[in-house]
Amino acid sequence: MRIAEGLRDLLPEELAFLEEKERSALSLFQAWSYRKVLTTGLEYGECVEPEMTRKGDLYKFFDREGQVLALRPEFTTPIARLVSSRLLPRALDGSMPFRLCYSGDVYRYGSGRYREFRQIGVELIGAAAELADAEVIALSIEMLLCLGLRDFRVSLGHIGVFADLADELVLEEALRKKLEVGLARKDVVGMNSLLASCVLPEKAKELVGLLPSLTGGAEVLERLRAFECFESVRRAAASLRAVYGFLEAFGVQEHVSIDLGILRGFAYYSGTIFEGYIPDVGFPILEGGRYDGLLEGFGQSAPATGFACNLETLLALGGQKPMPKPDAFVYGDSPEKVIRRCQSLRRAGKQVEMAVGPVDASSLLAADYCHDFEFVEPS
Amino acid sequence: MFVAKKSLSLALPKGKLLVDSVELLERAGIACREVLADERQLTFELPGHQMRIIVCRPTDIPTFVEYGAADLGFVGKDTIVEQAMDVAELVDLKFGYCRFVVAMPEETLPPRLQDGSFELRDLDRKRVATKFPRVAEQFFSAQGMQVTPIKLHGNIELAPKVGLAEMIVDIVSTGKTLKVNRLAEVAQIFEATSRLIANRVSYRLKHEDIQILAGLLRDVVAGER
Repeated sequence: MRIAEGLRDLLPEELAFLEEKERSALSLFQAWSYRKVLTTGLEYGECVEPEMTRKGDLYKFFDREGQVLALRPEFTTPIARLVSSRLLPRALDGSMPFRLCYSGDVYRYGSGRYREFRQIGVELIGAAAELADAEVIALSIEMLLCLGLRDFRVSLGHIGVFADLADELVLEEALRKKLEVGLARKDVVGMNSLLASCVLPEKAKELVGLLPSLTGGAEVLERLRAFECFESVRRAAASLRAVYGFLEAFGVQEHVSIDLGILRGFAYYSGTIFEGYIPDVGFPILEGGRYDGLLEGFGQSAPATGFACNLETLLALGGQKPMPKPDAFVYGDSPEKVIRRCQSLRRAGKQVEMAVGPVDASSLLAADYCHDFEFVEPS
Repeated sequence: MFVAKKSLSLALPKGKLLVDSVELLERAGIACREVLADERQLTFELPGHQMRIIVCRPTDIPTFVEYGAADLGFVGKDTIVEQAMDVAELVDLKFGYCRFVVAMPEETLPPRLQDGSFELRDLDRKRVATKFPRVAEQFFSAQGMQVTPIKLHGNIELAPKVGLAEMIVDIVSTGKTLKVNRLAEVAQIFEATSRLIANRVSYRLKHEDIQILAGLLRDVVAGER
């Protein structure tokens, strides 16, 4: 029997591995005071479509009233909806910010990769300070460490370096779109030819042309100083410096690179953005950033930041967890006695397997099937 | 001499572009002529440079790179556009020049406009045979037109002859194949050359190595080495 393309089943060893990782990440989130929520699996189309280009990625259905429903492609927008419509209206003074976390499957009808995968992440809603950005980034790094990863990198950028600069320069819409696509795709060749032919201040051309390769540590932030004649760049750089500084206090700075070339599909990001990478996996394992404008669309506005991690990436690295052997395998000629013995062992906290058919004890023994074999005498 | 700090893998296209690729790398100081010696061998280690070279089908290169099986690749812009893969495009390598064109049988050419170009309006809703349905569709929809792409895997020129399609979208380098098949170009879609592409995670994790190598290649292409 075939299963639909891009989906897959998980066998016990894979699921146990995934859930162990999930549990350890969730307990880390809890230790940082993030509370778990669950949003609906199906959302109205408009709750998951802040970005036109993502439309093709949605699994969509009609309900009986003819409204469009979609399987959630991510959690950030649904949680923004939840907070804006349920938590903010009755928020007491001092109850902000909200720290929420989640874990669940998301669905994307994109080509390649998996179309159903487990996402785990946090949202910190109601805090605009750089310290909030730093907290979320530090937590993402602690999470990668707690997932057992070592040789990873988290790249930190700021959407304002390009987006706010484009506003400041009042870039013509078509050119802005082209440059944005070029930057997001890291199409250095295309961008350079575009920049060569367009009308922009030289300094701005130089900066935009440099963006894809502005990667490194504190020295990148220093290089930005040459472009702080632009107010937008000055603000973005100041905010990055503050966040980067806090990350040192969190003790995670060694894992962080500044990377001003990050720009990505979801259009709701508005400030610092970051991505996590692990070797031998061609896709980011986590993505996050600030999205101050997203909640407003659902009624109540609030600044917010967060990240999502694709837990399933770890399975792609061949993660499996061996199943524990039963403590005891119980068999005998009297079913009632066998049942009673099993129940009493289970009450004592043992993992017990009961024989439900004829038993070939020698082959079970040979397979080293469990820790103990117990034969229950009939009388 | 270039020695990668973290070891780099580079995917090169099998076939006629392999010679140009090796030539370019050699000029950048990366000795890899052995790649041309045995066409059955598909991977080559260059321990002196801490590099590994993978040779594969040109159209498979973006896949190898997108999934990170190769950090870098040399691939035609035509392939990048058609496959719309998520890879970073770093350097125009200038070889492997070709053009994407719309071509039609000489006897059914559309009328010419004053500036000498062809009036394409009548091609709306026509069928177009091509190896590159995405390129064809994008080109026509940018003109506000809708065409029916018919995907073929080779010998596109045959399609208009036997009535499978009214026109073709294909890449041409000299235009000889078109002429032999009595087809004429009615519009150019874009020009393509080979590019250096990078996996977007490798681009971050091996940024220094990749920047240096990209710089070397850029200099060679610009004639500065």
